[in-house]
Amino acid sequence: MEGLELELRALIQQACDLDDAKMATLTDDDPLVGPESPLGLDSLDALEIVTAVQRQYAVRIDNQNTSIRVLQSIRILADFIRQEKAMA
Amino acid sequence: MQIPFTHLQGAHCETATIASLLQHRGLHVTEPQVFGIGSGFFFAYLPFIKVSDQKFPLVSFRAPPGSILKKVGKRLGVTFHDVTFKDEGKAMDALDRALDQGIPTALQTGVYWLPYLPGAFRFHFNAHNIIVYGREGDEYLVSDPVLAEPVRCSRADLQRARFSRGDMAPNGRLYYPLTVPAQVDLKGPVRQGLKDACFNMLKIPVPLIGVRGMRRLARVVEGWPAKLGPEMAALNIGHLVLLLEEIGTGGAGFRFMYGAFLRDAAQILGMDGLADAARRLTAVGDRWRDFALLASRTCKGRKVVENPYGHLADILRECADREEAIFRDVRALVR
Repeated sequence: MEGLELELRALIQQACDLDDAKMATLTDDDPLVGPESPLGLDSLDALEIVTAVQRQYAVRIDNQNTSIRVLQSIRILADFIRQEKAMA
Repeated sequence: MQIPFTHLQGAHCETATIASLLQHRGLHVTEPQVFGIGSGFFFAYLPFIKVSDQKFPLVSFRAPPGSILKKVGKRLGVTFHDVTFKDEGKAMDALDRALDQGIPTALQTGVYWLPYLPGAFRFHFNAHNIIVYGREGDEYLVSDPVLAEPVRCSRADLQRARFSRGDMAPNGRLYYPLTVPAQVDLKGPVRQGLKDACFNMLKIPVPLIGVRGMRRLARVVEGWPAKLGPEMAALNIGHLVLLLEEIGTGGAGFRFMYGAFLRDAAQILGMDGLADAARRLTAVGDRWRDFALLASRTCKGRKVVENPYGHLADILRECADREEAIFRDVRALVR
């Protein structure tokens, strides 16, 4: 597991008030939000993650469609942040 | 049968659908330009219109469905074929005829009935716009601007989504451009869109629209705990945050998109002041997101500030003040 992916785990855990046991069930490829997610997060939790990412990495996820795409997994979210930082 | 068509993933279904259709016909306008030229930027607090079973007041962060299409058409000189149907069979036949003529066709649909969307994003919202650009057997080829790639949808599912019932029922609506000018000088349409947005946000003589509507909503939100009790106040604020961030009415998202339009407008009209307005509006979008975040935490009973409803009202007033200042400056530039 790479550094950014680990950081994002901690960020999501804190933003959504999740315990260690729940986070342990999540792989880097699992969906973060929705009924298929082991975390059981909903769209309001997605908003928590989106704003936490913006605060921490100065990367704005600026619309719902981008949220849907990048919150598919920790790996995709991490790739998105790397890509945005590279273009900044 | 498949019409050559470039799928475009967008920020908002209606604007992305219009931009895709126009680009397909050779008129290269971006999604933010469609939003800006079509005067999509808006705010309305309409307590006399109730939505959902709980009868929540309607709050809208964008122009009413359909108005962007009308204004874009008028300002760019594009005519649209735009019809609804009572008969489901006739509606599907009309779609098939358009496809047979090689016309990618936009449909208004109910999100809940589109099986290709992930479960988390299927909710009862009847003004979702998609484009159908082909048919193979019983399946239609669909460009849904929410998704990264085109998808397929069966005839039965598509028919059901086109005749979804409830608020804003699509009634089988389909539309596509009939005539599109080969070239358009965007200066005029951009200026018209800007003036219209300034009027909508500052000058409509109804205290429920524009920045005055935002201030009215602030007063109402502040009073919810006392008037409705904690449980109903939390439900109301939850409803508001869903309108803000979830069902295509997105307050913050529309601020970001209008910011992109203002940046384009600065270049098209050669007005640096519009680029400054773009930066300021994007910053207001972040405050709208702060509002949504606090509202979401309040609704879920998570750790929040003291007197969250008062704090939410303060953010609304701040957004109103900042948007008023921005649109006054824009109006001074384009008048």
